[in-house]
Amino acid sequence: MRGVRARLTLTIVALVVLTAAILGIGAYTFVDSRIHQGALDDAVLQARFDLAATIPDRFTDRTREAFIESRLADTFKGRGIDVMVDFGDGDPFRSKAGLDPELLSASLRDSVAAGQLAYERTTLAGERVLVVGGKLPPDGPSFYFVHPAGTLEATLDQLRLALTVGAAALIVLAILASRLVARGVLAPVDAGSRAAERIERGDLSARVPVTSGDEFGAWAERFNRMAAALEETIARLRAAQAQNRQFVADVSHELRTPLAALVAEASLLRGDLDSLPEGSRRGGELLIADVGRLRTLVDDLMEVSRFDAEAEEIASQPVDLGRLLTAVSTGRLPEARVVLPAESVIVDTDSRRLERIVGNLLDNAREHAPGAPVEVTLAVASGAISIAVEDRGPGVDPARLERIFERFYKADPSRHGGSSGLGLAIAAEHAALLGGTLTATNRAGGGLRIELRLPVTGSLLDGDATAIGRGDGEGRSTFHQESPT
Amino acid sequence: MAGARGRPLDARILIVEDDPSIREVTAIGLRGAGFTVSTASDGREALDRFHAEPFDLIMLDVMLPIVDGLEVSREIRRTSTVPVVMLTARSDTIDVVVGLEAGADDYVKKPFEVPELVARVRAALRRAGRQPDDAASLHLGPMAIDVGGRTASRDGRDVPLTRTEFDLLVELARHAGQVLTRDVLLDRIWGYDYLGDSRLVDVAIQRLRAKIETDPANPELVLTVRGAGYKAAR
Repeated sequence: MRGVRARLTLTIVALVVLTAAILGIGAYTFVDSRIHQGALDDAVLQARFDLAATIPDRFTDRTREAFIESRLADTFKGRGIDVMVDFGDGDPFRSKAGLDPELLSASLRDSVAAGQLAYERTTLAGERVLVVGGKLPPDGPSFYFVHPAGTLEATLDQLRLALTVGAAALIVLAILASRLVARGVLAPVDAGSRAAERIERGDLSARVPVTSGDEFGAWAERFNRMAAALEETIARLRAAQAQNRQFVADVSHELRTPLAALVAEASLLRGDLDSLPEGSRRGGELLIADVGRLRTLVDDLMEVSRFDAEAEEIASQPVDLGRLLTAVSTGRLPEARVVLPAESVIVDTDSRRLERIVGNLLDNAREHAPGAPVEVTLAVASGAISIAVEDRGPGVDPARLERIFERFYKADPSRHGGSSGLGLAIAAEHAALLGGTLTATNRAGGGLRIELRLPVTGSLLDGDATAIGRGDGEGRSTFHQESPT
Repeated sequence: MAGARGRPLDARILIVEDDPSIREVTAIGLRGAGFTVSTASDGREALDRFHAEPFDLIMLDVMLPIVDGLEVSREIRRTSTVPVVMLTARSDTIDVVVGLEAGADDYVKKPFEVPELVARVRAALRRAGRQPDDAASLHLGPMAIDVGGRTASRDGRDVPLTRTEFDLLVELARHAGQVLTRDVLLDRIWGYDYLGDSRLVDVAIQRLRAKIETDPANPELVLTVRGAGYKAAR
């Protein structure tokens, strides 16, 4: 864009410079030659007349003394002309000091001596002059008429200056004008560029003003139609997505009440299973187990639709990670080995979300590596906390590894466990909300390792465990605030 | 399992729940545990019953037609300290807070299993019927606590506290200077003998502070112990 502006300016200025140069130089040359030619013609005409009439009339004796006597020099002086007369005796007459025929060029003097009328432009006594020379016929002395050319040259100098200044002014004007023109021409491009930038930032309502009926106007209209189509399509997609999410939220919400009844009923049934006849008992057991599965699925769906509604709040408070990991493991997978650093690690975080992440990872390990040893490791690295859940199960096909955090993704399609297929996706969402990441890798010795990395925010390694946090914002409010104790 | 703990075998419980299945299964479960059960299906009916006959515990669904559960709880609290256990479909912190603010003592999240519900009902009844084991007077800073009379005052002026808040204050004041974890408080105040929701403790502490501290944002009487729990200033 800048390039076009510069090129446009350069082109216009170059054209103006060229035009100004041609016109200026042409005009100057013309005036110069006309003025010089005119002055020369006058001087020659006068010299011819003087040599033919004025001088012979009053100057008959043809000696130096007679010439002085004739006072012709005064007459010429009266016309503004100085005169030199070369009598051929080495002592010429000069109407003004500093003049001398010797100072004139030899070719001029030869021409004059040969009886021709000749001229020369030169500088005499520090003054620019036009000298016209001629011989008084038939064999008189050589006369040189010295016409001052100073004013003439000064006039031409002024003309030159005026033309130069004029050309410079014209160029400046051309630059300004070309910039204005460039801006005008490029304004639609700028407007289009700004609108595109706004669209890029997500403001799909950006449009280009249609200010003219020319090609740019047509282009702007086309651009606006494209933006409108884009906006409409995206709005439609968003609406569809929102509708989808709302549907999932509604479905899981509608399922809640019958599910709550089912869970309570199944729990009653469980207490009385033993008193059921043999045939009904197995049915009762399956029913209870399936109600449990349904409950997990609906709970997970509700959780997922809460993420989609982006209505999540983080309730941070100081959490002893070692205690949390031990408690969750005891509840979910008591066989799991919990490996903790020597010192307790306390960080500000949302303990419920952390429990959910670790719980889901343990559920996943239990389900996909049944019976295999599971290890939960807490480690503190510089700037980050790492919680890893490792199992010694079959691991996951490397090609499927990066997809295991997708919703309803089953790494092993043949497996039908009690999980909803949402556990790892939910864990990943919680991890992201806590500012952390979940990554899955296959262990070298077989088995799956899923690691949660959390950035450290106000971590306390043991020793400050009894510090008193004042002004805490627990419970309903969201972020735990720390103040110096 | 019925009446294993002995105490309020014949306790009368009002179940307020609009879904007939949940209402019925809850009633069956509580009757099976030895309680006398009445039911109501909306807020208006619940209040009519509450005003007509005495109950030892109200089990209240939050989302009710006509008059919602929170409103019913507030209405009950105007005249009675009967234990109120909320049934909430959502376990969001907001719901817990709003429920406790409306005067509920505890909440049970749906879906629930009947034995779990029965345990919570028993715990609430036990708490309500608990006689003070001593009639001592306790002090916590400017607070004077009459354990037997179940009243607290600050600089001679009565500070009205709910049952839960009062119990919490007594527990903390009895162990002034000693850290009580959230789990310990859940066990001693709410009678949870399993891993409960520690937000219950946090919310109750906040509400207690709002009533007894000069500046609840900078508590001087009930202090947070980072990463551990709470303690009363010595």
